[in-house]
Amino acid sequence: MLRRKLVMFVLATCMFLSACHSSQKEDAMTSIRIGISLYRGDDTFINNIRSLVEEKAKEYERENGIKVILDIQDAKGNQNTQNNQVERFISLGCDVLCINPVDRMDASTIIDKAMTAGVPVVFFNRQPVEEDMNRWDQLYYIGVDAKETAILQGKMVVDLYQEQPQAVDLNGDGVVSYVLLEGETSHQDSLIRTQWSIQTLKNGGVPIEKITGGIANWERSQASALMEQWLLSYPDTIELVVSNNDDMALGAIDALERAQSTTKVNVIGIDGTTPGLEALESGKLLGTVSANKELYASAIVELAASCVLGEELPKEYPLTDEKYYWTPQEIIIHRIE
Amino acid sequence: MIGRRGKVLLLLYGMFLVLLFLMCSTDLIIREPEKEIYQIAVIIEDVRSDQYSNFRKGMDQAAVEFNADVHFITLYEKADAIQQMELMEREQQDDADALIVVPADEERVPAKQMGIPVILLRPRRMVEAEEGSVIIEYERMGEQLALEMLEDASPNCSVLILTGQGRQSAMDNLFLEGANKVFIDNGYNVQTIVKDQSNGFRDDLENIVNWDNKKALILAVDPESLTEAAGILADNPDIEKKVQGLYGRGSTLPILNYLDRGQIAGVCVTDEFSVGYLCVRTAIRELEGDRYQPPIVMTSYYIEKKDLRDPAYEKLLFPIE
Repeated sequence: MLRRKLVMFVLATCMFLSACHSSQKEDAMTSIRIGISLYRGDDTFINNIRSLVEEKAKEYERENGIKVILDIQDAKGNQNTQNNQVERFISLGCDVLCINPVDRMDASTIIDKAMTAGVPVVFFNRQPVEEDMNRWDQLYYIGVDAKETAILQGKMVVDLYQEQPQAVDLNGDGVVSYVLLEGETSHQDSLIRTQWSIQTLKNGGVPIEKITGGIANWERSQASALMEQWLLSYPDTIELVVSNNDDMALGAIDALERAQSTTKVNVIGIDGTTPGLEALESGKLLGTVSANKELYASAIVELAASCVLGEELPKEYPLTDEKYYWTPQEIIIHRIE
Repeated sequence: MIGRRGKVLLLLYGMFLVLLFLMCSTDLIIREPEKEIYQIAVIIEDVRSDQYSNFRKGMDQAAVEFNADVHFITLYEKADAIQQMELMEREQQDDADALIVVPADEERVPAKQMGIPVILLRPRRMVEAEEGSVIIEYERMGEQLALEMLEDASPNCSVLILTGQGRQSAMDNLFLEGANKVFIDNGYNVQTIVKDQSNGFRDDLENIVNWDNKKALILAVDPESLTEAAGILADNPDIEKKVQGLYGRGSTLPILNYLDRGQIAGVCVTDEFSVGYLCVRTAIRELEGDRYQPPIVMTSYYIEKKDLRDPAYEKLLFPIE
């Protein structure tokens, strides 16, 4: 008799506790708070994504009736600042973190803090190393497949060369002389973009010859300074500028304009940023590879929300290895009349 | 050998230590001062927050200093007063302690009665009580900018005014009113260009190239239009040649970059970092019982490229967090 009473008492307690727990969960479902830290707020591509994330969060709010609070911070290229921001997000009760890491090799501190607090993390744009990503099943990554990007960048020149060789081999000497503008060495995409873009040009039968190259850390001003120097060192020689992103491609265009060069130079970039697309429209940029930024931003919001609500991610966002979402990309090229 | 009495004393001592430990660890003796974290919601009048970067920096600084949790809310549609008032209600229901509101319109939003302190970032001085407000006088800013523009104007100039699409915020309207007044008083004909949904200002600005012997003096009413127009000038040297000067307001990084590169001739700015900081500080003070704080009126400054490296303006334009 006493044992039965004891069992009943334990059961009633369990039911009471579970009811309390589920009602708490239901409360939490009326709003989601997302902490977003950007590696640098002045990066054009990241800024585009940031604006779209704000837009998509409002769309999500309207469609699902769940309030979405975004706390967006700029880490200004400092990993310590970003770590502090993560700590603050957690102490403010953010339900999920969306992190664009400053140093992709040093995501472990963020992961440690998030794991301790039980807050899922969606990394984007700069992919943490695999060992870090495998530490917890609540870590995700959204980005573009760098190899695919590079192949598309190379392919746009290959296709143009096959259609109109004179549009690529501008001086008609049978060799396309190019210079290369590379992003940060610590970013996973820099090496891959460089390697596969050039490989695709070679495989596609474009007779390329590298004049020189340099690291401009994704920045327009640094690329512009490098290009200015190259234009002086190799006058009337450069036919193609292969850039790891649009900002650096625009830097090269700035240098060409400053030099008031009459010799045409083709410039190709990656990212499809707003200024990049404007330059493409005016014919200054030959082409770019653009990730579907709408989908990119939607995936960040949807994945973050599904982590919090414990729901499955909508089918439009298939995850590779249950962790990685690769955003589709396309070539955008300026049509030469 | 410990006697019975000794054992009892030892036991009592042990119990005393345990009790002491429990009292300390549960704050019974040493009580940590409780820090209240104030929840403050900032509701702006726009759909995007890009123009508020320095404001947000100031707001974040104050949030850290005054122990506040500040979050930023944008509207679904620009200058939608009804939605803004709904969001004010929603935030109050969601336990916000105070609101900072950039009113989408001048009448309905400031008049809305709320049960929590509301700090308004007003676009002009009002006749009625305006305690706890931070004021930027946009009409005066428009006048100030138009006067500076006319100083640079050559006799064969035509004034073009660029405005965004659809509903405009109170600050855009007042800024335009102020500028228009100066142009009309000085006998200038003003042509207003409204942003086109698909091409923005591109087509209209490209038409300037066909003007005979005339140059355009352009005023962009809002920071977004200014950034777009500057981008078009940067891409089209032919248009740029026909433009006497492009002017506007705002201190975002793209605007300052265009000012530095010469596509923008001059802008009116306020110390947005301080505006953000002061709004949060005013809210906190009100929450702590200071109900009648006098309004804070911000000064606006006209700056050109040469002022960008002036230390006085540098601090204002590029605040360090």
